Amino acid sequence: MRVLRSLGAGMRALLRKKEIEKELEEELQGYVDAAAADKLRDGMGAEQARRTARLELGSPEAIKEEVRSIGWENRLETCGQDIRYALRMLRKNPGFTIIAVLTLALGIGANASLFSVVNTVLLQPLPFKNPSRLMMLYEGLPQVGSPKIPFSTPDFTLVQRGQKSFESVGAIQDKEFELSGHSEPDRITGARVSASIFPMLGVAPVLGRFFRPDEDAPGQNVAVLSYGLWQRRYGGRPGIVGETIDLDRQPYTVIGVMPRHFVLPLPGPRANFLPAALWVPMAFTHAELQGWGLRYDLSVLARLRPGVTLRQARSEGEALGAAIEAQYPQDILKDFYGARLGVPVFPWREEVTGPVRPLLLVLIAAVGLVLLIACANVATLLVSRAAARQREIAVRRALGATRSRLLRQLLTESLLLSMLGGGLGLLLAFWGKNMLLALAPSDIRLPQNVGFSGGVLLFVFGISCLTALLFGLAPAWHTAGSELQQGLQEGGRSRTAGRSHHRLQNAFVAVEFGLSLVLLIGAGLLIRSFARLLHTDLGFEPDHVLTMEVPLPVQAYPRAQQIRNLYQWLADAVPNLPGVKTAGVADDLPLQSAVFHTLELEGRPQVGKPPAVAETWTLGSYFQTMRIPLLSGRLFNREDGPDSPPVVIISQGMAEEYWPGQDPIGKRLRHEENQPWMTVVGVVGDVNDGPLNQPRQPHIYTPFLQLSDALTVENVIGVARSMNLAVRTAGDPAALVSAVVAQIHSLDPTLAVANITTMPQVISSSLAGPRFNASLLSLFAGFALFLSAIGIYGVLAYAVTQQRHEIGIRMALGAQPRHVLRFVLAWGTRLACLGAALGIIAALALTRLMKGLLYGVGATDPLTFAGVTLVLLLVALLASYVPARRATKVDPMIALRCE
Amino acid sequence: MGGKSTELVQGTLDMLILKTLALEPLHGYGIGLRIQQISRGVFQVNPGSMFPAFRRLERQELIKAEWQTSENNRRAKYYMLTEQGRKKLKRETQEWETQTAAIARILATVPGEL
Repeated sequence: MRVLRSLGAGMRALLRKKEIEKELEEELQGYVDAAAADKLRDGMGAEQARRTARLELGSPEAIKEEVRSIGWENRLETCGQDIRYALRMLRKNPGFTIIAVLTLALGIGANASLFSVVNTVLLQPLPFKNPSRLMMLYEGLPQVGSPKIPFSTPDFTLVQRGQKSFESVGAIQDKEFELSGHSEPDRITGARVSASIFPMLGVAPVLGRFFRPDEDAPGQNVAVLSYGLWQRRYGGRPGIVGETIDLDRQPYTVIGVMPRHFVLPLPGPRANFLPAALWVPMAFTHAELQGWGLRYDLSVLARLRPGVTLRQARSEGEALGAAIEAQYPQDILKDFYGARLGVPVFPWREEVTGPVRPLLLVLIAAVGLVLLIACANVATLLVSRAAARQREIAVRRALGATRSRLLRQLLTESLLLSMLGGGLGLLLAFWGKNMLLALAPSDIRLPQNVGFSGGVLLFVFGISCLTALLFGLAPAWHTAGSELQQGLQEGGRSRTAGRSHHRLQNAFVAVEFGLSLVLLIGAGLLIRSFARLLHTDLGFEPDHVLTMEVPLPVQAYPRAQQIRNLYQWLADAVPNLPGVKTAGVADDLPLQSAVFHTLELEGRPQVGKPPAVAETWTLGSYFQTMRIPLLSGRLFNREDGPDSPPVVIISQGMAEEYWPGQDPIGKRLRHEENQPWMTVVGVVGDVNDGPLNQPRQPHIYTPFLQLSDALTVENVIGVARSMNLAVRTAGDPAALVSAVVAQIHSLDPTLAVANITTMPQVISSSLAGPRFNASLLSLFAGFALFLSAIGIYGVLAYAVTQQRHEIGIRMALGAQPRHVLRFVLAWGTRLACLGAALGIIAALALTRLMKGLLYGVGATDPLTFAGVTLVLLLVALLASYVPARRATKVDPMIALRCE
Repeated sequence: MGGKSTELVQGTLDMLILKTLALEPLHGYGIGLRIQQISRGVFQVNPGSMFPAFRRLERQELIKAEWQTSENNRRAKYYMLTEQGRKKLKRETQEWETQTAAIARILATVPGEL
């Protein structure tokens, strides 16, 4: 009520502003008149009475100002005045304004573009209904180092039926399809999903409908298309719903199309993520439902029942694990190595943001530092300008402006600067976030639909205000508070100008250098890691190796012998092509091998941690093609077929880990109890089987032809029918693509060849993440260094101008130019050294945070620290040199005369 | 003027103005004069703090102003108490009396009395 009244009174006052002013004037005049009349009555002379009365009143302007300042509307008005005044000041100093605004725009723009990405990736990663209730479920054997295993089909159905914590549970499985009909056959990535998944996420299709629960059964061939596939392959025709498409040469009816930005499964911790182009019902087959201990490849999502907490769901998960274990066949249970099975529950959000979090946090820290440096830079500029304005400020204070009034006005200028910078920064951010997303390699998994929401605008506004305070407060406080007399004096005689200004500026520049050093060290560490990665000995020779995936559809290749024949024929025929040296076939390639945890070594009890081993099935001259060296024993040959004794080749690391000091040739190992023993016949060199920044795993190689029929037709991850062909060429591998593909099509023209690439490209894309980190942080660090250089240059240049007089006297008294040069250079170097000391301390504390992004380099790598500090000092010296040179050019006579 | 005036206790100027106006409506100079007279010259009200106080009290709707003709036939801004102002004055007076009585009691305490 009171607020309303005050609001009303303020509004009225605003409307009657002129009138109120006039009344005040008249009232004050009336006071003087009445007082004078009184004095006259007391016997004073007329003139004397008026003068005494006026003296008694004091300064009418000061009283008016005081009276005006009452009520909120006047604050608004002075604010308007301040803005007008600030605009005038900024216009009068275009050089200063442009530099300050650009500096701030870059700082704010970098922050805003990163924020828009962070906002989407970390803060709102799940564009679904009530995302905080969505959970991801796994199977877990934490005691043997496997805390998160995707579900197998029988285990999933047990959880789906037995659980009470969730209102719905559903599974997703990646699946590759051969899509034909309408046009050329195409290899696409799709997904099988439970009918419960779409309603759980609460996303409606733009066209048609979802699967009904009754369609989640074998034989119900329906499909929902992604927006992208619908546009790309079917031209966005609405009539597509109801039409039939061929998947793996089976007819499917299209029943719906999802919205443009719908992505499922979400980018997650897996290699070569491709968003699903279409979805089909999960429709478990009878074999899948009975597949105990096979195919752990279901991602399971669930929505918490209202009122159920994560803690409750987790404790139920443990019980569910025990229930699953109770159903397991005894012989498979043995592979658990005595570990207890659990069903760990994690918020989906954490699962999605987890992998990108460390990188984004480092980037946030980096852009934050850049902004701080930009602030320090603008602050030094402001201090320089404050010195030039000292006289103006002193006059205003002498005329009765209070300190707080001046402070407000100076801060308004800062605010205006930062708002201009923020506006420009927003434009930069719009462009910058697109660049950020374009630069980001796919394995960093940034979503491509980062929006520019109101949140980003709010962020830019907030950060602009904060920035203004950050760079404006200290200079404004300093300026507004300077002693009146001193101000008038200093303004008049520039010789003694601004000792305290210099102190403040020196502090800003030192801080700036310190912050830059932190960034530079961060960037340096990432660059060193990247260089380490580049020079990693891979264990094979990637140059001149062409690779492609040749998947065989189930319908055309239902039997194991057909699959074996086709790949054997490929391995035999391709080397005959001109320009091809050797060729081999393998289920996975270096840097992309899968690791599994069940292996039994003869004579070694299955206790403790099971061996984690990568396995590759090979055919043809795979080792020769990759140039993986044979260290002892022999490679596979044509005799290692289905009917001969099973053999295996192991990596050197495997030999050293499990048979240290022994000859591993002749030792035996097997996958599971009911499978045959394989005899070690050879030892080959280690290769990097996973991502380059991961340690190498022990590796075994088995002949593809010795896989059982069952495994070949239907195996754990369905890879036996999508083997990779690796070809070593004499010349440019890319030039042979069409010849090799033609060779494949000469046998089966309907086969779709996928993932055609070269090993150098695979390596390059596996380096994309570290390269992105290093280049982005280098960019920020370079920017920071540039700003700091400008900062130190600005301070020294200003100081030299201010001290022309002093330098002139020194030179007149016999100082040599080199003395002057040394004096100024020493000043700059002193500041940089101080900053470097601060920076090293800060960096020691901060670089630990980026340990996860480093490879082969310690977070406090002395070489990086020393090298980067040296670079920084050199830049400081260079930046100081220009003003130092200028100082030596001071003509003593002119300097003395210009007083 | 001279050195005889005493600084007003912080916040009491508003109360004194209200009290003066409770007796009769007055213009600015009259209020200052009246306070000086009643206090027998102890309080010399500075116009620099009086006019802002008028504006403040006006905005709080404790007083209102009206242009009238003064005793010497001039147009002058006369302030008068509103109903709210009257209530406020009553509250403040009571509070003031309670406080001064308490302070007086404390100051009058002699050793050994407790």
